[in-house]
Amino acid sequence: MAGWIIAVALAGAALGGGVPDKPAPLPPYGAAYTPTTVDERGLWQQADEAERDLRDSPVVVRDAALNAYMAKVLCRSVGEDRCRGVRIYVVRAPVFNASMMPNGMMVVYTGALLRLRDEAELAAVLGHEFGHFEQRHTLASFRRGRTIGDIIAWTSMISPYSTLPASLIQLHFAYDRAQESEADMMGLRYLTAAGYRPFAASHIWERLMAEQDATALGRKRHVTHRYAAGFFADHPTHLSRAIDLRAAAGSEGDRGDDALDAFQTAMRPWRAGFLADQIKLNDFGGSEYLLAELANGAWTPELLLTRGELYRERGNPRDLVSAAQFYQQAIDQGCTDPVAWRGLGLSLLRGQQVAAGRAALKTYLEKAPAASDRAAMAMLIGEGGVQ
Amino acid sequence: MRRGWNALALAAALTMAAAPLAAQEKTGNRPGFTLAPGTATIVLMRPEIQVGAQSTGGAYEPNADWTDQARENLGKALAEAQGRLGNRVVNFVEPVGQGAATAHEYRALFTTLADSVITYQFFPGNRLPTKKREDSFLWSIGPEVASLPGVQGADYALFVTTEDHYGSTGRKLLQVFAAAAVGVGVTSGMHKGYAGLIDLKTGDLVWLNADQAMGGDVRTPEGAAKRVAQLLEGFPGKPVEAAAPAPSAPAKTASR
Repeated sequence: MAGWIIAVALAGAALGGGVPDKPAPLPPYGAAYTPTTVDERGLWQQADEAERDLRDSPVVVRDAALNAYMAKVLCRSVGEDRCRGVRIYVVRAPVFNASMMPNGMMVVYTGALLRLRDEAELAAVLGHEFGHFEQRHTLASFRRGRTIGDIIAWTSMISPYSTLPASLIQLHFAYDRAQESEADMMGLRYLTAAGYRPFAASHIWERLMAEQDATALGRKRHVTHRYAAGFFADHPTHLSRAIDLRAAAGSEGDRGDDALDAFQTAMRPWRAGFLADQIKLNDFGGSEYLLAELANGAWTPELLLTRGELYRERGNPRDLVSAAQFYQQAIDQGCTDPVAWRGLGLSLLRGQQVAAGRAALKTYLEKAPAASDRAAMAMLIGEGGVQ
Repeated sequence: MRRGWNALALAAALTMAAAPLAAQEKTGNRPGFTLAPGTATIVLMRPEIQVGAQSTGGAYEPNADWTDQARENLGKALAEAQGRLGNRVVNFVEPVGQGAATAHEYRALFTTLADSVITYQFFPGNRLPTKKREDSFLWSIGPEVASLPGVQGADYALFVTTEDHYGSTGRKLLQVFAAAAVGVGVTSGMHKGYAGLIDLKTGDLVWLNADQAMGGDVRTPEGAAKRVAQLLEGFPGKPVEAAAPAPSAPAKTASR
């Protein structure tokens, strides 16, 4: 019975899917590459429309130096001949993510840039996404999903209680996870070939796991690290990615360049902004972990200021005491951002230290006379507004 | 994109219910608004056009050729139809740099506004209290639209969106089989679109026409002319004749 159902379903899928056409033999990153099959051309056109939208969108970070740096890292990682087929868009979003469209449009979130530690890790992420592009993963996934959808449609007509659809859906996601693993390995090969430190790829996932644990703890949730991917998971678990990448990196995994200085120089102008976006996520545990991770024992004024903002935002009386300390430490270490005095003043005022709080707010207004919240701060100092 | 295929897409692949849209209104006009022929310059914003097939399971299969054909045919048909309305239609020239970002935001704003009208006014069961009275078609994207680069000197902006999923052979077979042997309804194909007119001096939406089940095969010139006639149904001013003949002379095409 089951065999008969599958045969009918496959026949139906063949009818619906039409003649399977093979993609062009050329690699998709070539300068003159043009997709030829109906499916690939359709997907490229859809991606072109999406890129047209994103290109003009205000969420894209347009800074020339940052974009040049991203392109440089991609070119070093995958090679000058390959990287020309890709356009990178840095999108302002405070979560760890990056994605690849079939037409060579790559998106990297600022949240990923904040979490990466050095250039080797960035190269691992870019190489992974490039692997999706090179192997035409979107096209393969689209076709597989369509065929599976067709079979499910026929099966549900012919045999509504069949378990075949569930198996097929499981299969679809298993294939998607296999694509991710393949892209991971391609990224690692590019990383190694470019002379970067191979362990960088696994380090990303190890730290992300720790951050997820911290987020869960901060939200009083169970820490759930899975060893196997769930039914609907389109990516392998962080744990298996970390283990596989570490194993594939081999015994020489710790040798190689991490280009830490170049990465830090490129990110320095941006980090304060990325941090400000991060703490608006209302993720105390994850943000606190991330800050400690970034500080790595050496708290800079910028990180101390952000930590103060994070604690002041949570706002328990004990948090305000901590926040005031962090602001004060940032100021003592030479912080020049006026926001530090505002944070200090507001924390002290809430903690009933009125005189000291007002003094800090006065300093804030002296340092930022054109601040948009000037009127509100003046009122708190007692110099104006409705008392 | 990489995550575009999820469980819901597979589950939603089998939409068994016919769309309950029969009772829905399709057209709204700002109270008291008229457009006399020969008085206005209308900027046609770059139309949003998607044409593809619907697989047996219901997935959308984008088709670049069909989309290109539709873009060309609809562009010609729109120019033709507007010419008969007696108003001057010019294509929006996409600005570069900051202007492009502003144009992008207005396109997104218009789409949001049109979706709101369709959800909260055209569908009676979901109508907002302020939209229940007669003459309450009052929507606007704000007067700042007048400063959008590329619309200076024009009076109105025309936005057009169409989306067509043509049922594949497999989908039609499934539909017939489902109806005959199983007795359930399976929809085949999806054709929806809307068009709206914005007053560039005030930002007010003066006319919107939305249809979730449109006619006319946009892949052919004849079908595109029919589609445009349906899109422009209720357009303020002179009514467009339905199913206009295919334009023979080359006309302006929508800018790409």
